[in-house]
Amino acid sequence: MIVLREVSYTYPEAADPALHGIELNLQPGSITGVVGASGAGKTTLAKVIAGFLPRVDGGELTGTVCVAGRNLAELSLVEAVGQVGLVIQNPFNQISGAKYTVREEIAFGMENLGTPRAEMAARVKQVAALLRISDLLDRSPYALSGGQMQLVAIASMLVLRTPVLVMDEPTSQLDPFGTRLVFAVLDQLQQAGTTVVIFEHKLELLQAHADRLLVLAGHTIVADGSPTEVLADERVDGWAIGSTRYTRAARLARGRGLLPVHGALPVSFEQAAATFGGAR
Amino acid sequence: MSSTLYVERASPIHRLNPVTKLVALLCLLVVVFAIPQWWASLAVLLLVIVPAAISSGVAARLARSAGQLLLPILVVLVLVQGLTYPGGRTVLWQWGPLALTTEGLMFALTIGARLVCLVLASVLLVLTTHPGDLMSALTEQGMSPKFAYIISSTLQLIPSFQARATSILLAQQARGLTVPSNPLRRLGVLMPLLGPLVLGMFTDIEERSTAMEARGFGSTARRTTLVPVRDTRAQRVARWVIPVLALAAILVSLRWIG
Ligand SMILES: Nc1ncnc2c1ncn2[C@@H]1O[C@H](COP(=O)(O)OP(=O)(O)O)[C@@H](O)[C@H]1O
Ligand SMILES: [Mg+2]
Repeated sequence: MIVLREVSYTYPEAADPALHGIELNLQPGSITGVVGASGAGKTTLAKVIAGFLPRVDGGELTGTVCVAGRNLAELSLVEAVGQVGLVIQNPFNQISGAKYTVREEIAFGMENLGTPRAEMAARVKQVAALLRISDLLDRSPYALSGGQMQLVAIASMLVLRTPVLVMDEPTSQLDPFGTRLVFAVLDQLQQAGTTVVIFEHKLELLQAHADRLLVLAGHTIVADGSPTEVLADERVDGWAIGSTRYTRAARLARGRGLLPVHGALPVSFEQAAATFGGAR
Repeated sequence: MSSTLYVERASPIHRLNPVTKLVALLCLLVVVFAIPQWWASLAVLLLVIVPAAISSGVAARLARSAGQLLLPILVVLVLVQGLTYPGGRTVLWQWGPLALTTEGLMFALTIGARLVCLVLASVLLVLTTHPGDLMSALTEQGMSPKFAYIISSTLQLIPSFQARATSILLAQQARGLTVPSNPLRRLGVLMPLLGPLVLGMFTDIEERSTAMEARGFGSTARRTTLVPVRDTRAQRVARWVIPVLALAAILVSLRWIG
């Protein structure tokens, strides 16, 4: 579905590339998580996949980005955004400012694309129910809390039903309930065949929901595999991506002499259950 | 954080299509400024603006907002024109070099009546028309959606930029910055804070344009609207009839009165 070959990208007037040597092939209908410390290049990669770099921000892109078998560079921006939806990092900037109710704000993209009115109304209703924001629909988009605004921003992209959805830290302002809600929605999208790329820090949820986990460090992909594999990698401390609560608990237990000194630490609930069950 | 003066009511004036209101406002202003007699403005005021204001349900609010704007202007107008009008001959009252003349007062009345109409009618439109509805209606009439976007988003983003400026200032004050009361020194302290504000605005603008493109803003498809703009056949006719009536009134006044 999405194929990146030898992609490097340098921002205008920057000395060094923000991304280099990116090789990526994402299967249709998969959920891919991408983690990386601040400044690792997550937002840059999200924009490259969505076709916004170098088109909107300038700079220099080398290599090729293909979506659904078509080279993004050869598509117009409008065609590209029809294929790949992008939830940007700051929900405040995703809100258009052109609309005075959440309902119309969510419909804004569909209005631009000329979706018939009845269909727009139905889709807005469905997406709002999915993200539990139906009671906000008549409010002003600017009278919302950060978390509510983030859900509206996500809804405004979900409603466009693009085959690929790229989300840049979509749960940064959400409470644990909202965060789990978003991940549950990802599972539903996946069942509907949508390809999802999510840039996130919450490792437990990525481990539970993503098919694949990529690690960005030093402006390139340093690890790529199943979440369980990647989180168990021995280089994980060097990537500054943190660790799951299961790993942290096991490390503490080991320090107190409750677990054997050798052997791999658990990265998932299942592994932790086995590890601690075995220790008892 | 509300940037609109709109007051929600279930009145017939609120229900009018915004374009109808805009056409009526423009015609009314053209009539009032084209016909020189003061009583023409008075007639428009009594026959159109006052009934509209009363049926809008926001008359008190209108009186307050428009009054604040008009009162100082009218006082200055009457004093200055009444006392210094160059063509003033009929002296009503004299005090040293100052003479209050009938001609001066009549001139003040002519200008004042027009201003009253201008301010009352415009404020009434603003109070009874949601800016979002106005933009949708104008877009429906063929105004460029990009232009509509620029206007609406400016209206809505100004308060949020103000909020950001306040929060940057608060953050600095929390770190020990004191704002002096001397205005010059205050400027010196606040100038460096403009940096983060402006920088933040540029990042925002870049991000916003990305987000807008992601939502098909560049699309050339024929746009649709989720919420239909209220309109009636009577109003569609009225939008042609009102300008014709206005023109007729001006012609009549030119031919028989002017
Ligand atoms: N507009 C820009 N111009 C120049 N450099 C940038 C720009 N945006 C980001 N960078 C740089 O590119 C690198 C990656 O940034 P980014 O993709 O935003 O990281 P992340 O999202 O992982 O925090 C950083 O070193 C950052 O300083
Ligand atoms: Mg980022």
